[in-house]
Amino acid sequence: MRKTIESKKQATIALVGNPNSGKTSIFNLLTGLQQKTGNFPGITVDKKVGTVPINKDQSFKLIDYPGAYSFYPNAQDERLVVQSFCNPEEEDFPDAFIYIADITKLDKHLLLFSQIQDIGKPVVLGLNMADLAEKENCLVDHQKLSKKINAPVVLTSGRTGEGKKELVKIAEDLLNDNNFKPSKGFRALSQPEKQVAKKIKPLFPGTNDYQAVLIAHHHEWLDFLSKDQKETIADIVQAEDFESLKIQVEDTMYRYNHFTPLLKDVNCVTKDSISKFTERVDRILTHKIIGPLIFFAIMFSVFHAIFVWASYPMDWIDAGFGWIVNTLNSTMPDSWFTHLLTDGVLAGLGGILVFIPQIAILFFLISLLEEAGYMARVVYLFDSIMQKFGLNGRSLIALISSSACAIPAIMSTRTISNWKERLITILVTPLISCSARIPVYTVLIAFAFPAKTVGGIFNLQALAFMGLYLLGIAFAFIFALIFKWVLKKNEYSFLMLELPDYKLPMLRNVGLNVWDKVRAFVMEAGKIILFISIILWVLANFGPTGKMQAAEQEAITFAATEQLSESDTENLIASKKLEASFAGVLGKAIEPAVQPLGFDWKMGIAIITSFAAREVFVGTMATIYSIGSDAEEFSVREQMARERNPITGEAMYNTATSVSLLIFYVFAMMCMGTLAVVKKETGSWKWATLQFFFMTGLAYLSSFVVYNWLS
Amino acid sequence: MSVVINTHSLPLSDFRLGQKGLIAQYTNERIAGKLIAMGALPGQKLQLVRTAPFGGALYVKNGKYIIALRKEEAACIIMSNEKND
Repeated sequence: MRKTIESKKQATIALVGNPNSGKTSIFNLLTGLQQKTGNFPGITVDKKVGTVPINKDQSFKLIDYPGAYSFYPNAQDERLVVQSFCNPEEEDFPDAFIYIADITKLDKHLLLFSQIQDIGKPVVLGLNMADLAEKENCLVDHQKLSKKINAPVVLTSGRTGEGKKELVKIAEDLLNDNNFKPSKGFRALSQPEKQVAKKIKPLFPGTNDYQAVLIAHHHEWLDFLSKDQKETIADIVQAEDFESLKIQVEDTMYRYNHFTPLLKDVNCVTKDSISKFTERVDRILTHKIIGPLIFFAIMFSVFHAIFVWASYPMDWIDAGFGWIVNTLNSTMPDSWFTHLLTDGVLAGLGGILVFIPQIAILFFLISLLEEAGYMARVVYLFDSIMQKFGLNGRSLIALISSSACAIPAIMSTRTISNWKERLITILVTPLISCSARIPVYTVLIAFAFPAKTVGGIFNLQALAFMGLYLLGIAFAFIFALIFKWVLKKNEYSFLMLELPDYKLPMLRNVGLNVWDKVRAFVMEAGKIILFISIILWVLANFGPTGKMQAAEQEAITFAATEQLSESDTENLIASKKLEASFAGVLGKAIEPAVQPLGFDWKMGIAIITSFAAREVFVGTMATIYSIGSDAEEFSVREQMARERNPITGEAMYNTATSVSLLIFYVFAMMCMGTLAVVKKETGSWKWATLQFFFMTGLAYLSSFVVYNWLS
Repeated sequence: MSVVINTHSLPLSDFRLGQKGLIAQYTNERIAGKLIAMGALPGQKLQLVRTAPFGGALYVKNGKYIIALRKEEAACIIMSNEKND
């Protein structure tokens, strides 16, 4: 991911700013669709990277860093910022900085700016939300400010697009060093800092004094330090009597004391910057009793919407795929290739692409809430309850976004500074039903629950759908509690969270987020599904030598003696052949293990393939069931409904089996992408393994209980 | 920016709903570091607006920002009366 965008010669600019400074809007404005994120299986990166064109031939690489308040962070996401900037050896070490500050909050946002200046690379200051400032008559004399802070200043607005050209132009100047020398630094070091810097600097070629001091402050957790280096620095820090925390506060206060006067005659900071609107809305949304009620109402509506709104576009996609398959079947020659294409590839792909509307709607609604500033209120409201379960208020954000996908959710736990709270959040997050389970739920709920209206307005299937989500949520909390008791206690835990002003969500930001997530789903999940569909098709169409012919022969004889109709004969032949194929052998091999849960060997195959990623289930079912069926009926659901138990003749997908299978998919850890991210975020396979076994064990046990209770 | 602590100083966690005061000092360097970086400097006004359900977090504001704090965190912020500004 890091090296992908063009050659090494391309210059790198870091985009930095406080949380809620509107930095991401500027990133989206500058890079548009030219951006990549790593929020999906396989490609886990820490930052967003985009390309910004300067002219026809030239461009620079823009890296969006997480929002941070200062170089003295507690949480993982903020740590990433300072870590990247105190190691000049790092591949992505920037050649220049674009610093974004909220124009109405300059009196706080210049803190990190001043620290960035001390890194010794050129910086341009973007004063964001300039449109809002104008409306409120809060004008900033940006030229005067530019002289005072010794850096170019641009007025920008992520909303109106103001300042885009100028920002790019100045960025170009910074890189070519035409007008701007690296800034001379904001603060001179104190005596103890100088002492430490003198000893540490020689160990890290290319660092300046301030970077050396930052290494001294943070040596315990900086990733690029070897164990020996950490020990060496620890010795230096101790020998010099370097009081890290005290010096951090002094450094911060010095900076405030020096940039506050600079702002006096360039900024209209007299006005309160919290809007009356925010205060009024918060009276309701953060109300002790009404607040939580509204939260639950919002969540309820979100999931109801997914089920109800998405049904129309889903029908269109389903019909579209059915049409393509039928057309191909009737126009292409009847060859193995046609069968591979229609029964293998298209069946698998169609089974999964049909769920794009649901995933898009979910991501759309979640990013809408996030953009509007509501999520921080949720953290505030539920922090104390979450703490009772060994979690942090911020864990709730992870749990909510996990209903879209556990991978970005687990990455979002970096905002939790306490390791134990973070670990528990990571462990239980995948129990929340993600969008990949939507396809499985949708297909199986239809067999388990009739489509009728209850209580006048509620769709029973939608309620069942919600019930599965609630089940996942309930067990996430139960296991959080278990882990809270089992795991060792450690270190301090923080809430300290800024609640941003409410603002109208920017459609560009929301749209890009949805597009990014859906594209990743289609590309990444699509690749896996395509691959598995083809393998499955091969496994299902070939078998141990002679076995399949023998099965066919046997079926024909049986059909002749029983005098079956022509279509029944064909079905019997197809199912006997499938049973004798490699896929059948594989499914039969695990059948004893899944039989107590009410599953047959066909479901066994689907469960095996689902361990790559659970959304594969539907694709697998589609592939298995389209083999041997007339392609007229493309819908997986219809084919599954026709499936009969060979012994009793009853529908295979009866209530007990369907519910058991549903429960299995609620709990089982079936996503390689998630396990990989858990390994990366926790630093060892230990936690990923634990997660795999506790979730899958829970799934097996619950399915067993439910099946035996219902049948 | 130094503010003299007067005899009526009180931790923010002991404030009544709606009560206002000035940040006099912090008693915990870690919390001080984080809150100062967020803009809550000694000498600034703070008001306790409301609390979250189940003995939860404190909703604290001044004109420029709203911060959510835990009780234990608020206990590390010593406040003085507004008059002593």
